[in-house]
Amino acid sequence: MNASLHLNLLQDDERFSSSPIRLRVMVPLLAVLGVVGLGVWWLLLIARIDNIMHEKTNLETHCAELKPTHDQVLALRAREKETRAAVSQLGFYRTARIRFGDALARLPQHVPASIQFTELRVPTPPLQPPPDPTLKVKPLGPTNLAETVTLRIMGRASSSTSSEAVRSLLEALRRPAFTNLIRKAEIPKGTFRQDTARGPAARECVLFEISCDCGERRFE
Amino acid sequence: MKDASFVLDKLSPQVRMALGITGAALIVGVAIVFLGIKPTYQRVKTLTAEVAQLGATHATMKTNIAGIQKQRAATEVAEDALKGILDEGVIEPLLGSFSMRGKSLLDPLAEETGFTIANIKEDRLIPLQVPQPPPQQLYARQLVELTGYGAYTQIVAFVQAAEQAFPLAVVSGLRIEHQMSTPERHRATITFEWPVKGEKRK
Repeated sequence: MNASLHLNLLQDDERFSSSPIRLRVMVPLLAVLGVVGLGVWWLLLIARIDNIMHEKTNLETHCAELKPTHDQVLALRAREKETRAAVSQLGFYRTARIRFGDALARLPQHVPASIQFTELRVPTPPLQPPPDPTLKVKPLGPTNLAETVTLRIMGRASSSTSSEAVRSLLEALRRPAFTNLIRKAEIPKGTFRQDTARGPAARECVLFEISCDCGERRFE
Repeated sequence: MKDASFVLDKLSPQVRMALGITGAALIVGVAIVFLGIKPTYQRVKTLTAEVAQLGATHATMKTNIAGIQKQRAATEVAEDALKGILDEGVIEPLLGSFSMRGKSLLDPLAEETGFTIANIKEDRLIPLQVPQPPPQQLYARQLVELTGYGAYTQIVAFVQAAEQAFPLAVVSGLRIEHQMSTPERHRATITFEWPVKGEKRK
């Protein structure tokens, strides 16, 4: 009999791997190193928080020191903004001014002797329309930017050439002397008529009206 | 469970120790990540954002403060401009009455020009168009209506004098009526308007 005999004298736990790295050592070692690494990362983060907190405290202190002066700047800025807005609003009024004095002073020079004014009228600004109830936010002021101004002259002409006299007055109102104030002057239809109210004695008299468009007062 | 302890019983003490250490390390590692690193990292992120915000605020404050002289000058220029307009003729009520203010302003001019003021009364207050951005203190147009008598030249001289003396006064209504009994003396109803302080915006 020439059979080989294999004799195993090692127990299982006495067996060693031929590898130079033993897993039962390396795995726990790596696990522990990993945990240590995580711990270090955590500590670094904590240290960073400390730094940031320090930086934050510094900035807060600086900001607190600057606050009174900065508040002054903000107050000055708010005052400027408010003032400019007020100037702007009053500017709307200034640009919308209209002057009657000089034109009215020049008027008598252009009125023929046969004409007598009975009334001269500039209507007051129209009433503001009530705010639109469908609007959620009520506007702070009027939304119309322009207001029409008119001048109405009513008078009587008492001569045989009354129509010429009235026409001459109308032409005068269209001349450059009045263009600062009057944009358009016309006799509304039906307003040049005979004066019947004062009886037969006034048969020669005619009544007239001249309506002048004085342009718009633009609030902008 | 019995099987597991049987398997462990079969392992050598060294392997069991290795497994124990590895398991414990994993548990501690997970705990550090979820209970330590993650919240700390979040805090770092929050704080970094706060510091960045504070830094920006600080920089803005410094820039603003550096321009304080310029800002002061700009504010003064604007206030001077407003004062100029207010002095030009933005009127305030006299003891609560705009009509009495109007009377106090117009009486001397009427006397000078020979126009007789018979009556003066406060008319409507018309809000003024509002710019963008709107001011806190809004302004309005106050109408003051006066009735008086005089020759045409006196009435017109009075209007001219008022327009000259008060650059912001505007004739917003006028009615000169011929009087049968006194052909040379007319009745005039003149509505002047002035800018006045209106409501304060809430």
